[in-house]
Amino acid sequence: MYQKKLGIIQYYFDEWALNRNIGTFSWLLHRLTGVILTIYLFAHILVVSSGLWGPESFNSWLKVVQTPLTHFLEIFLMICIGFHLLNGLRITIADFFLATKEHKAIFWVAGAIFALFMIVTLSVFLPRVFSH
Amino acid sequence: MNQKQSFSSAYGWFIQRITGILLAFFLIVHINVLHFGEKFFIDFNMVTQRLEGSFLWAIFYIIFIPVVLFHGLNGIWGLVEDYRPSQGAQKTVKVLLWILGIVGTFYGILAITPFL
Repeated sequence: MYQKKLGIIQYYFDEWALNRNIGTFSWLLHRLTGVILTIYLFAHILVVSSGLWGPESFNSWLKVVQTPLTHFLEIFLMICIGFHLLNGLRITIADFFLATKEHKAIFWVAGAIFALFMIVTLSVFLPRVFSH
Repeated sequence: MNQKQSFSSAYGWFIQRITGILLAFFLIVHINVLHFGEKFFIDFNMVTQRLEGSFLWAIFYIIFIPVVLFHGLNGIWGLVEDYRPSQGAQKTVKVLLWILGIVGTFYGILAITPFL
């Protein structure tokens, strides 16, 4: 019940202060990336729906969302997707296969895959940022 | 205290995992095609070329859109629940999230029809 009296920032801060470990860190990042991705999802549906008003409308909207700046921001989108997807699979494996004891090891395996994914992402997205 | 409520949370937890596994597949395909496959400038013709007359892509998005919306909004719901709002606030948020999800699903699927 004590949570009710605290602000949401205080709640997350306390959670981190009390449990400073990988689990809390990934829990926080999972929430943050999840909220960002959900907001992005609605923006994405709205931009794509401009096609309902014809090809010109769609193309003019896509010009707005395909600039050096947005290609740069897309790198952060890939960070959010890569982390949320891999960490989500880690949680699911721990939940479904009762692998709670191995979850830290799985976290670092996921981390290695994430690092590889980011190398590929940067090699594709960085040239786009500078190719306009 | 309230058995019904605790059951619905367990369903939410389970569906979140199932939709998550599905999304891992859908997102890898979607991102691979649109962010790593296509040339860096996407326009109407490019999308039409890919989707036009393709039954598989239509089915892909008809499943993908509700699943991703459910996963995202159910995640927000979990976050709201953690903050322990009052019963009334919970009900309001739940109704709001369902409306967002249902409207988003129909509008999202409608949004891909110009390309089919």
